[in-house]
Amino acid sequence: MQDYQPQKANLTHYLFFTGKGGVGKTTTASATAINLADAGNQVMLVSTDPASNLQDVFNTALTNKPQAIKGVPGLFAANFDPVTAAGEYRESVVGPYRGVLPAAAIKNIEEQLSGSCTVEIAAFNEFANFLTDPTVDQRFDYIIFDTAPTGHALRMLQLPSAWNNYLAENERGASCLGQLAGMGDKKAIYAKAVATLSNGDLTTLMLVTRPQKAALLEAARAAQELAAIGMTNQQLIINGTLKTPTDHASQAIFAQQQADLQQMPAVLKKFTQYEVPLRAYNVTGLNKLHLVLQATQPALATYPPLTNNYPNLDTIVADLIKTDKKIIFTMGKGGVGKTTVAVQITQKLVAQHKTVHLATTDPADHLDFFKTADPAVTISHIDEQQVLKDYQAEVLATARQTMKAADVDYVAEDLRSPCTQEIAVFRAFANIVAQNDSDVVVIDTAPTGHTLLLLDSTQSYAQEVKRTAGDVPQAIIDLLPRLQDPQQTEIVMVTLPETTPVYESMRLNEDLNRAQIAHTWWLVNQSMLATQTTHPCLQARAQNEVEWIEKVKDVSANHFAVEQWQPDFEQTLLTI
Amino acid sequence: MKKIELFEPAMCCSTGVCGPSVDPALLMITSAFDALQGVTTVEADRYNLSNNPDVFSERADILAAIKDDADAVLPITVVDGQIVKTGAYPTIDELSDYTGLVFVPAEQTGGCCGGDGGCC
Repeated sequence: MQDYQPQKANLTHYLFFTGKGGVGKTTTASATAINLADAGNQVMLVSTDPASNLQDVFNTALTNKPQAIKGVPGLFAANFDPVTAAGEYRESVVGPYRGVLPAAAIKNIEEQLSGSCTVEIAAFNEFANFLTDPTVDQRFDYIIFDTAPTGHALRMLQLPSAWNNYLAENERGASCLGQLAGMGDKKAIYAKAVATLSNGDLTTLMLVTRPQKAALLEAARAAQELAAIGMTNQQLIINGTLKTPTDHASQAIFAQQQADLQQMPAVLKKFTQYEVPLRAYNVTGLNKLHLVLQATQPALATYPPLTNNYPNLDTIVADLIKTDKKIIFTMGKGGVGKTTVAVQITQKLVAQHKTVHLATTDPADHLDFFKTADPAVTISHIDEQQVLKDYQAEVLATARQTMKAADVDYVAEDLRSPCTQEIAVFRAFANIVAQNDSDVVVIDTAPTGHTLLLLDSTQSYAQEVKRTAGDVPQAIIDLLPRLQDPQQTEIVMVTLPETTPVYESMRLNEDLNRAQIAHTWWLVNQSMLATQTTHPCLQARAQNEVEWIEKVKDVSANHFAVEQWQPDFEQTLLTI
Repeated sequence: MKKIELFEPAMCCSTGVCGPSVDPALLMITSAFDALQGVTTVEADRYNLSNNPDVFSERADILAAIKDDADAVLPITVVDGQIVKTGAYPTIDELSDYTGLVFVPAEQTGGCCGGDGGCC
């Protein structure tokens, strides 16, 4: 396999980096951007992940407007944050009426425009506008999108087609779009976005993966689903391949990587493949980003072996049992092992004679890999297509009681709006939290960005519920109070002993504090230090972990644990 | 000609299906106002705060009504320039009073007919 070198990779004007959480989308996208800028190109790098880490990577505060990156002439970066986009949209609507309409009326509009529907459309419009903006197109040689983890990114890339089709089929003037004034006028933009995404001469999908089965399977899924909307120009980057194993830990990782690559899904084999070998350092800051794709890497220092005296997951589970928690979440960045930790917590609870309902809110549904015959465990996930159908059926049944056929069609049309998906998923989330078929509900969440939007919806709906005249399901009324009750709920923050996952968890920590959602424990997962490795590259990584484990210890006020890296965790825990 | 106007709180869409719950009264209103579009003797319009803030801002009577507590007062029904109901949607009987039309449930005729207007 050849090393990934952007200059030789035959890159197009628009590049989309996508893949499972934690595979290195931001790293490879940023290194590509720097590399192209160094060669004299004008480059725009945009993150569409609501939990973007670009600011950590460049050590620069970013907004949704292109900002020059100091130290890299020609490189500009931006974070497209859905909540910011919704805020700007909201202000554009109410701004002209401040002082004209009474304050109570302004507040009424603002509350309505805080729903998940507005957030999604506003974010998506920002993306579609940028993608189709002729000024951006002409100004830059390369426009690089660093997307959210697969589940969220697929939705964003499929939305131009979805809205385009909805607008084409809509006969009654798209009443659901009314809240975003002039959305109908955007038809031309969506059509252009669809055309751009599906033009292989303009757009390449860069599938980023780890040499690990779950990440490869997810890349294959993205490859297929995005080929279906016309994004057929695709390349594969395999990030983090380990070379020359020396000890037990490195030997095990090497064997697992090689085996998983051997069994790569057929759909991926037809693409041009590149690799980026595992580096001994965290890729943050300009120096490391310049270095990561170089053929020559710095020599490795040798370190004395480290000792591991940290508590492990058993400490956390013992506390969960002692405090008799009913609802346990695992939250964190993509790829930190939320699903495997949720599975481990479940198994440890079952060993203590608890019955457990294990569920995931992640559309990528990694829990699907977990099979068990244990009657103490019930497994479920939010099937986005199914919950949408259920919600549509429920609303139509209500509508039929009072409306004539032609008017039911009117409701049916509103229900076909891509927006309805958001509310359907939200209701399904409330139902999962309300589960009472088991002693404990363990909920594996989607990567941070997606989960934050779900919590954001929870808060805005809690407001809306107070003033709605409709019949609100009990699960939705109870949702926020439940999440805010430390007697029932615990959110285990899962992170890795590395720069970006810890920073992302610290931001999540602040968001949860603001929302007054119950959380105490932190788990530092996949620690190399805890394996006692002597492999030079892995040992260097282990050495780098100390700083981040200590940071978590500090931030969590000692409510933390460390789990060691298990090279075969996917097979052992998830029976992939 | 009768003129009936409905001033509604901010909504995502006229059927309300993208909120946390679906309000049957809102579905009925959507259906009734849809039917009224086919009636020549009644002019029926709906305005909601998020879509039509301009209409609200031009109406002194509405501005005065929502000045203190917009949440409690909306929706407001106005018939021929007079506010006739606040804080809830009009019932089907009230709509008949306002318009002089009889609304017939959907199951019976598949439409709303009758009255002197003879809609549908």
